Amino acid sequence: MIYFDNAATSFPKPEEVIAAMKDYFFHVGGNTGRSAHQAALKASEIVFETREVLAKLFNISDSSRIVFTKNATEALNFAIYGFLEKGDQVITTSLEHNSVMRPLRHLEIIGKIKLFIVSANDKGIIEPKDFEKILKREKIKLVVVNHASNVTGTIAPIKEIARTAHKYGSTILIDAAQTAGVVNIDVNEDEIDMLAFTGHKSLFGPQGTGGLYIREGIELEPLIRGGTGSNSEEEIQPDFLPDKLESGTPNTIGIAGLGAGVKYVLRKGISEIHQKEAELTECFIKEAEKIERVILYGPRETTKRVAVVSFNITGLTPSEVAYILDQEFGIACRPGLHCAPAAHKTIGTFPQGTVRFSFGYFNNISEIETGIKALHKISRRCV
Amino acid sequence: MKGKEIIIVFRSTHDAIKAKNLLGKEGIPFEVIPTPKEISAECGISLKIEEPLKSQALQILKSWKVRYRDDLL
Repeated sequence: MIYFDNAATSFPKPEEVIAAMKDYFFHVGGNTGRSAHQAALKASEIVFETREVLAKLFNISDSSRIVFTKNATEALNFAIYGFLEKGDQVITTSLEHNSVMRPLRHLEIIGKIKLFIVSANDKGIIEPKDFEKILKREKIKLVVVNHASNVTGTIAPIKEIARTAHKYGSTILIDAAQTAGVVNIDVNEDEIDMLAFTGHKSLFGPQGTGGLYIREGIELEPLIRGGTGSNSEEEIQPDFLPDKLESGTPNTIGIAGLGAGVKYVLRKGISEIHQKEAELTECFIKEAEKIERVILYGPRETTKRVAVVSFNITGLTPSEVAYILDQEFGIACRPGLHCAPAAHKTIGTFPQGTVRFSFGYFNNISEIETGIKALHKISRRCV
Repeated sequence: MKGKEIIIVFRSTHDAIKAKNLLGKEGIPFEVIPTPKEISAECGISLKIEEPLKSQALQILKSWKVRYRDDLL
């Protein structure tokens, strides 16, 4: 199988990720923070260590400001529902995934918030000045931006947007589901107040891992309350991080794998990973744009995007193309709307969607060539 | 006979592990113990150190912003 669905979840994972998870099951076994025996202590150390390497990756000075969640969606829900109050106004973009759009639309429908949408152009590019137009005239509590679109692959100018938001006293939440591990993120340099990330994409962790960074000074109301292993005499939730937002037994085995994945990323280096993925993307786009009936979406320049390429073949639906690719060529990719209907309306591919190839660090040029050959064959067939 | 010892109690397990790693790195001997019930029901792990090392240890913990219960010392 050729795996071109890394934007959904990365595959394969580095061997050390699997080794770390096996080690937890074979040699650790305990529950973090619940006891002082050796097994529980070892589990606590694994969780601590993973928080520390994540802090290093994102240049976070205090790792207790990172809370673990089961994915980016949960992290975004924690941030959105935990931060916003009745009467607040929010800006987001037309490139958001439903992990942002659905919570925000829900709060809008129940009359809790007012929502403003900044539209990207048909290449998936958003302009910081469009945020300023709204920020100038409205009191905005929160700005939520997708760091890179899972449909067009476009990388948003988050630093400029964050600066603009801060100029008007607003707070910024970044959805780094498609960028954490492959685009450099520095919470200080990029002025990020809250950063939601997933563990199972470019951080190479297993599914069921993710997290949220919350800058000091921002208080979130927890969505889930319960046991934390701390303050056990109290029947009210602790008010300090990470315990405040981490009730119940965490996914320690997953966190062990995530820690190993982040260490792998740190060892290889973000620039090396990004460079390789950009080369694969460039190679694909260069050949794919020559194929008759193939329509590519998103910006042409590979420097402005992650390794996510949406396309269509005239005369075939995305599902038909993906089905042929899978059945006849053994290529795994994703067709449809990719949980981001607004993004497809922006680039003009709603409601049919697109075929999406998303490359990863473990793909190679020969796989890209096989993919291109397959698209040539499919394209000729549908004349 | 063992000298006088003190117990450092932490707010969160995160801080207890952080403290344990820091003291280990600085070569300050400690023992990880379950937090004695009569002290507090803070996080489940506490560190026991020798009394003469108290100020040095606390200095390290403070400089790394470890959240321990000063009032329980």
